[in-house]
Amino acid sequence: MSQTKSKHQTAFSSWLRTGRRSIGPSSDLVEVKFNPWHDPENGQFTFAGSGSQTGDSGNPLRSSPRIAIGRSGARHASAAKPAPGLAQATKRSPTRGTRLEALKSTQTPTKPNPASGSKQPNAAGEAIGGVGEGIYGAAQGLYSILTTNPVTTIANTARGMARSVDAALRAENTPARIQLVRAGDAIGRASARDIGRVAGSAIGNVALAAVPGAAVAEVVAIRNLAKVRPRISYDPAQIGWVKETLNSTKPWVFYNDAAPGARRGKAPVLMRTMPDGSKRPVKFDGVQADYVIDRKWKIVDAPRSRAQVERQTEVLRQHRLIGLWEVPNPAQKVKAFKLLRRTKASNIKIRIARP
Amino acid sequence: MITEQIARIIASFFVFLELSGDEIVDPDEAVQMEEWLCGCLQELDKPFLRGLVDAFPVVALEYSGEAQELVRKIPYSFYLEEALAEGDPVRLAELEALRDAEES
Repeated sequence: MSQTKSKHQTAFSSWLRTGRRSIGPSSDLVEVKFNPWHDPENGQFTFAGSGSQTGDSGNPLRSSPRIAIGRSGARHASAAKPAPGLAQATKRSPTRGTRLEALKSTQTPTKPNPASGSKQPNAAGEAIGGVGEGIYGAAQGLYSILTTNPVTTIANTARGMARSVDAALRAENTPARIQLVRAGDAIGRASARDIGRVAGSAIGNVALAAVPGAAVAEVVAIRNLAKVRPRISYDPAQIGWVKETLNSTKPWVFYNDAAPGARRGKAPVLMRTMPDGSKRPVKFDGVQADYVIDRKWKIVDAPRSRAQVERQTEVLRQHRLIGLWEVPNPAQKVKAFKLLRRTKASNIKIRIARP
Repeated sequence: MITEQIARIIASFFVFLELSGDEIVDPDEAVQMEEWLCGCLQELDKPFLRGLVDAFPVVALEYSGEAQELVRKIPYSFYLEEALAEGDPVRLAELEALRDAEES
């Protein structure tokens, strides 16, 4: 009794796994599991009856392009040579052909019949797969919207709008009768997967509409982008060079001449435009990219020094540059910081450049 | 006595740099010279520098108006008191507080 039950369980389990009834225990038949059903788009395995059937399953019932079983039950070879596995199985079991015919006749009608239409997909499975693809596509679109740079998103949106306008213009020029015929033709030719994909996309879009937070956040980001003004490119600052009148072998002269971009015996000059339109030079010690460098051996808090800060601030603002004071030690840096703070100079930075 | 004579020379030089017009002395060169003068004074011996600092208010009496104020504030402009208080954090903090109070 238990042996019979176990046999039934094994047969049922085999049917669940393989989709076919067990042919009973056979000592000379080695069962080989093989799933010939693949998704035609990505090649992944699918359930039996969905996707396309490709490859040699080793099971003559599943993939029998080379062995066709006619309605009369007569077996004949459709190709010159049988499959190697089949040939081996046939060699091992002389009664295999008869057993295959018997199995063919006992196939349940509810199961898809691969032998009669091995390339016919399962409509329900295809539709479900299409729904999944549609939802995935909608979710992918949401992910793309939320993770793409807003500038790119706006550009893509603009392109999409342009395409929509073009399509609308083309549709407007096409008679309604022709459009209806095209629509009916398209629906008539659509596969179950296509219809499922459209349905899934609609479901995904509905879900997207049900998440207003993400959409609102994106709209807010786009609105903020509108406030961002494109950076205006200005002509490079006109930096002149004048001859230095101070020539000495003292360390403070060497310190000033060692500024980045400095030229021996010459000083970089920015021309300051006065309120009356006249121009006056403001000297520095070096130039590095957008930074104009002035080296300070010692910080002096005298009227001339404060006036120099004001001149430098003004000329830097006029040329849209940044000033950089280089001082030899932290103590001078503290003094320079306080001096710049008192004079409210905001476009001059300080750094330590040891001699 | 020697400190007053040196202080008088320094005061004359400083007043010239500060009060000469831009057409006579380039303002940036004047600041550079003041920085050099500041460095020279801060490197003097401490007792001599102490004498100089004390002599500037006396020498300032020989000037009037804006020049007098300039000479009187030479120790302040060149951070000479801070140079004398080097190594004394309490005195340095006191001087910093006095400077901040004067600016505010």
